[in-house]
Order: sequence, then structure tokens, then C-alpha cells
Amino acid sequence: MNVIFTVIFFASMLIIAVTAPDELLSSLMDGAERSAKMALTLFCIYAVWMGLSRLAEKSGFSKGAARALKPLSRRIFKTDNPAALENLAMNLSCNLLGIGGAATPFAVKAIGELEKDKNDWAQKLLFVINATSIQIIPSTVIALRTGAGSGAAFDIFLPSLICTAVSTTLAVLLFVAGRKIWR
Amino acid sequence: MALIIPIVFITVFGFAIFKKVKIYDEFSAGIGEAVKFSLSIIPCLAAIFMMCELFETSGLADWFTKLLSPVFSALGIPSELTKLVLIKPFSGSGSLAYLNEIIEKHGADSYVARCACVCFGSSETVFYISAVYFAGTKTKKLAMPIACVLISTFVTTIIACLLCKVT
Repeated sequence: MNVIFTVIFFASMLIIAVTAPDELLSSLMDGAERSAKMALTLFCIYAVWMGLSRLAEKSGFSKGAARALKPLSRRIFKTDNPAALENLAMNLSCNLLGIGGAATPFAVKAIGELEKDKNDWAQKLLFVINATSIQIIPSTVIALRTGAGSGAAFDIFLPSLICTAVSTTLAVLLFVAGRKIWR
Repeated sequence: MALIIPIVFITVFGFAIFKKVKIYDEFSAGIGEAVKFSLSIIPCLAAIFMMCELFETSGLADWFTKLLSPVFSALGIPSELTKLVLIKPFSGSGSLAYLNEIIEKHGADSYVARCACVCFGSSETVFYISAVYFAGTKTKKLAMPIACVLISTFVTTIIACLLCKVT
């Protein structure tokens, strides 16, 4: 991340220095402003979902989900940490239900738990799965198309499903292969 | 579909009532965690967004678009999608705005717009997710997982454009 960040940041600054030096500061401020707005938006999403997730946790609801997915997630993520398994289970369930906003807080909690065990395999695997999007119903896109007057807003459902499955499978395979080669 | 969210909420609340959880206390405690979490990711978000903004302003984004368009066309990706494919890993709101533009310009049921929708729906804002997920950790060597995600996203884009041609 450090390398990517430095290269893009530095190259962009050099170009701006030549083409439009007075825009450098304002673009940086725009970026900061966007991050503040984003943090506010995220707070709204997370306030709702983390409130709910706390209820799910305290009532033992997540434990049930964790138990159902345990045989699977324990083998895949190579962890026995019960708190991590709980959050992993909730993250995967939310993803499959298509509520991506709810999935992130659980993922972050799971990663925090895995950090205690120094289990970076599971952390990175979880990232790979989430970053390739495993949602079954692309609700945002369907809503957009309906809004634009599409005659058949749902006809992208099947291609989307196939692509989501392919991208996640491929990324996980690459990740597993990558681990074998570089370790 | 619209019923999924109400069902989730009602089930969890119902279960918590049944288990005699102090709903108000715990719900606000959960929101407390959300406050801490939102604050903790601001430094990473700000840095990443500044980078994205510079990438756009410097014209590097457009330059890449022009450079890669022929390559993308050769792989079956319509050139209208180049910018969307390039921006998506960096910015969710930016790519959403661009998706909207494509839909308006070409019509919701056109081939280009359907490709764009499938690509958009089956990928995520990779750099942003990596920043949020790993903000509180010491985990290193993220380049490999990020590369895996980017490669598979790109391959999926090619498949998406093929699939939209068939269906």
C-alpha cells in the first residue's frame, strides 16, 4: 500500500506542478473534504448496523449463525477463536443477503479478533472475499436501471450472479496459489 | 426483495426481546462502537481520497483511460467502460456517478449500459476496503491479496462483457 500510495501521489503531484500548480492545494482539500463526508455517511450506516449487531451478539443470535457456519468457516479460515467465528459468520450472512453496508462492521470486528491471534491468513482471505463482492442481488444497480426507465431492469441478474461467483472463486484461488509461491 | 431488511431487523429485535436483552442500553452501546470506528478510519480515508483526487486532477486518470482503451477493446471491453473499470477500485461514489452518466447517455437497456451495470455490481472499491479493513491492524504484505482481487476483477469484467453479448 505504501508503494502504490507513494507512486500515485508523487507522480500526480509532479504533473500538477507543471500543468496547474495552483490546483494542488485545492485538490488535496477536496480529497479531505470528501473523506469527512464519507466518514459521516459511514457513521450513519454503521450506527444502524452496529446497534443491531450488538443486539444480535448479546441475544446469542450471532452465536447461532456462527454455529451453523462453523464447520465451514473453521476449516476455511483456520481459526478457533469463537468471537472471530461469530463475526465471520455474520459478515458472510450479510454479504449473501445483499446488505453490504452491514457486512463491513462485522468484517472489521472479525479482523480485530484475528489480529489477537496474528492470523493474517484469515484476515487477508476475508478481505479477498469481501473485496470481490459476493452479493447475490445487485440492488443498487437494479434500482438505478429502474430509475432510468429500463424495460427489464432484472435481466442483468443472471450475468451479475455468474460474474460475482467467478470473481470471488478466481481471487481466492489466486490468493491460495500466491501464498504457496511466496512462502 | 424489499422485505429482507425489515425481516432481518424484526427477527433480531424479536430474538433480543425474547432473550430479555436491555435493548436500549445495548443498541446505544453498539452505536458507541460505530462512533469509535468511524473516527478510527478517518486518517486512512483522508489519505486515500487525497490520492484519488490528485490522480483525477493531474490528468493521469484520463491519460490511463486513453492509453488503455485500445487494449480494453481488444479484450472485448467497450471503450466507454474503460474509465469505469479504472475508477471503480478507488472510488465508489465516483464510479457510481460515472455509471449514471453511461446509463443516461446510452439508455438503460443498451449493451454498454448493461455491461457497465454488471461490472459495477460484481466488483468492489478495493483500495477503500483494504484501508478500512486493515486500519487498526499491523498486518503487512497486502500487495499480494490486492493484486489477486484486481486481477480477478479484471478477468470478470471481460467475462461480463461477453455474457451481456449473449443474453
